[in-house]
Amino acid sequence: MLRRFRLEEPESVREVSELLGRFGESAKVYAGGTELLLAMKEGLVQYERLINIKRVSGLDEVKLENGAIKIGALCTHHQLELSPVLRQNLPALVKLEENVANVRVRQVGTLGGNLCFAEPHADPGTFLMAVGATLIAEKSASKREIAAERFFVDAYETCLEADEVLTGIKVPVPAPRSGVAYLKFGYLERPSVGVAVALTLNGGGKSVGDIKIAVGCAGPAPKRVEEAEALLKGKSTDEATQNLPKAGSVAGAAAQAISDLHGSQEYKEHIVGVLLKRAFQSALSQC
Amino acid sequence: MEFQKEIEIHAPKEKVWNFIWDVDQFIACVPGCKEAKTLEEGKRYSATMVEKVGPFRVEFPTTIEVLEREDLTRIKAQASGADNKVGSRMKIGLDVHLREQDNKTMLSFVASVDILGKLAALGHGIIKRKADQVLDEFAQSVKKRLEGDS
Amino acid sequence: MLAGLEDWGKFMSKAMSRHQDAQTIPVSFTLNGRLQEIDVEPHELLLDVVRERLGLTGVKRSCDVEVCGACTLLVDGRPVSACTTLAFEVRGRSVLTIEGLATNGKLHPLQDAFIEYGGFQCGFCTPGMILAAKALLDENPNPTEEELKHFMHGNICRCTGYKKIIESIMAAAKKMRGAS
Repeated sequence: MLRRFRLEEPESVREVSELLGRFGESAKVYAGGTELLLAMKEGLVQYERLINIKRVSGLDEVKLENGAIKIGALCTHHQLELSPVLRQNLPALVKLEENVANVRVRQVGTLGGNLCFAEPHADPGTFLMAVGATLIAEKSASKREIAAERFFVDAYETCLEADEVLTGIKVPVPAPRSGVAYLKFGYLERPSVGVAVALTLNGGGKSVGDIKIAVGCAGPAPKRVEEAEALLKGKSTDEATQNLPKAGSVAGAAAQAISDLHGSQEYKEHIVGVLLKRAFQSALSQC
Repeated sequence: MEFQKEIEIHAPKEKVWNFIWDVDQFIACVPGCKEAKTLEEGKRYSATMVEKVGPFRVEFPTTIEVLEREDLTRIKAQASGADNKVGSRMKIGLDVHLREQDNKTMLSFVASVDILGKLAALGHGIIKRKADQVLDEFAQSVKKRLEGDS
Repeated sequence: MLAGLEDWGKFMSKAMSRHQDAQTIPVSFTLNGRLQEIDVEPHELLLDVVRERLGLTGVKRSCDVEVCGACTLLVDGRPVSACTTLAFEVRGRSVLTIEGLATNGKLHPLQDAFIEYGGFQCGFCTPGMILAAKALLDENPNPTEEELKHFMHGNICRCTGYKKIIESIMAAAKKMRGAS
C-alpha cells in the first residue's frame, strides 16, 4: 500500500517546473511510475505530491527533424518498439526497447522516466551515450541540451536541477556506412552488464572512422569509455579487431563494476570485454 | 560489509588520540553526521547520521558505545541506529588503532557495517560504495584537521 | 479505548472528516464491458480497487514488484501490472479482468485450451497468464514460439514448466484463427 499523496495534474512544462520549484523535495514528477511507485511501495521514498506529467501534450512523439531523431520524454518503451521513424533510422534502439523489462513495464514505462530515475541496471542511458544523444531539459523560462555522457552523475542521480524537466531526447541520424549495437547480459529481471558500440567506417571500408563505446549496468552509472575508443579509432579493421581484448579490459575497468547479486566485479568486467567484442563485430557488420 | 582504512597523519600520536575524543571535532569529520552529544564521557555518545543516495534519504539517530580502550593505542566501539520511516537499521563495529611511524601517526581502522531492513533493497553494491565514499571523506577530513593547524 | 457511544461518534466523525479532506478523483471506466463510476484517492492501487472494492479476486498480488505477472490486467487491451498501477489511471479506459473473458457463460478459446492442454496446475498465475496471452494474440494472431515466449516472458509460473502453457496458447491461437 502507498502512503497518501496529493496528485497534481499540470498541463504545461512550465507548470510542472513551477510545481517542482515550489514544493522541492516533497514533490516528484510521475509518468509511468514503474520505478517510482516501487520505491514508494518499499517506503524508500515519500512524497507529499506527485506531479502527473502525462497531461502535458506534445511530449510523446517521435519525429525526424533537421537530421536528428527527436524522441519525446513521455514515449513509452512500447511506443518506441513500434515507431516507424525509429525502425527506419535507428533499429538498434528498437531492439533495445523491445527487450526492456517485460511487456507490462514496456506498456507504461517511459524513456524519460527511465533516464531520470537513473537506476544503475538500465539499458537506454548506455545506448544514448554511444550514439551521441543529447537530452533536452526545460525549466519555467529556459531550455538546455545536455550530452548524454554528462547526464548521469551517480546511481539514481542525474545532473537535472530540482525544477528541471526532461522533455526530449535528440539522436543524430546515423551516417551512412555506420553501425550501432547494444548488447546486454543478465539473468535477473534487470540487466547486469550492458555495452553499446557505434562506429563508422572510413577509407573504402578498411578502417574504423569514428567510434563511441559506452558501458552500463555493471557500475553505478553508464559511462563512455574514450580510452577504449582510442584503441580502435582510426585503426584498420584488422588491427582494431586485434585490439579488442585490450579495449575490453580497459572498458571493463572503466565500468566501475560493483560486486553484488548480479555478479562479482571481476565477472562483470570480464563480461564487458565479451560484449564489447561482440557489439563491435555486430556494428562492423552493419556498415 | 567490511572496510579497512589506514590514514597517514603528520602529527604526533597524542594529538591524534586527543582529537578522537574531542567529540565535536571528530563528528565534524564524519560526512552526514550532526548533533553529536556526549552521554557518558569516554563511554557513550549519540549522533544523527544523515545519508543520501540519489532520492533515497536515511536519517539514523545513532548511539555509539566504546567497548574497549587502550590509551594512545586502540579503541573498540559499536554504533547502532534505526530509521523507522524507512524501516531500516544500521550496525557498525569499529576497531581503531594508532601507531607511531617515524614522525607520523598511522591511524588505521577496520569497520564492519551492516544495513538491515528495506534500505538493503537498494543493493549491497550501492550501499558499499556510499560507505566507501563516507569513509574516504572522513579520512581526508581527519588528516586535514590534524595536519592543518600544526 | 472508546468508552461508549459518544466516544465512538467523536472518533467516527474525526475519521470521516480526515477522509473528506483527502483528495478524491472520479474514475469512470468500463470494467468487463460495463460502465463503472467510482471515486478513488490518488494513492490507491488498481489491484486493491479491483480486488477489495470491486470484488474481482481473479487478479492476484504475488511479487508486488511488477516482475511475476500474476496481477496482469488488460487496460485498453494491453497488459499492465495492477500492483503498480494507480487506480485513477484507468479513467476513460476499458479494463478487462479474467472474470470478463467468458461471454454468456461460454469460455474464451484460451480458457478452453488451458483446460484441454493442462496449461495450469495450482492456477495462481493463470488469470494473469491467460490475459497476457489474450493481449498477445490480439496483437499477433499467429505468433511463432519465439514471439510467444518473448511476449509472455514477464509471466512466471512455478508449477508447469511452461511447456503446457505454450501448447495451450498455440492451440487457442490456431482455433481463433480458424474461427475467424
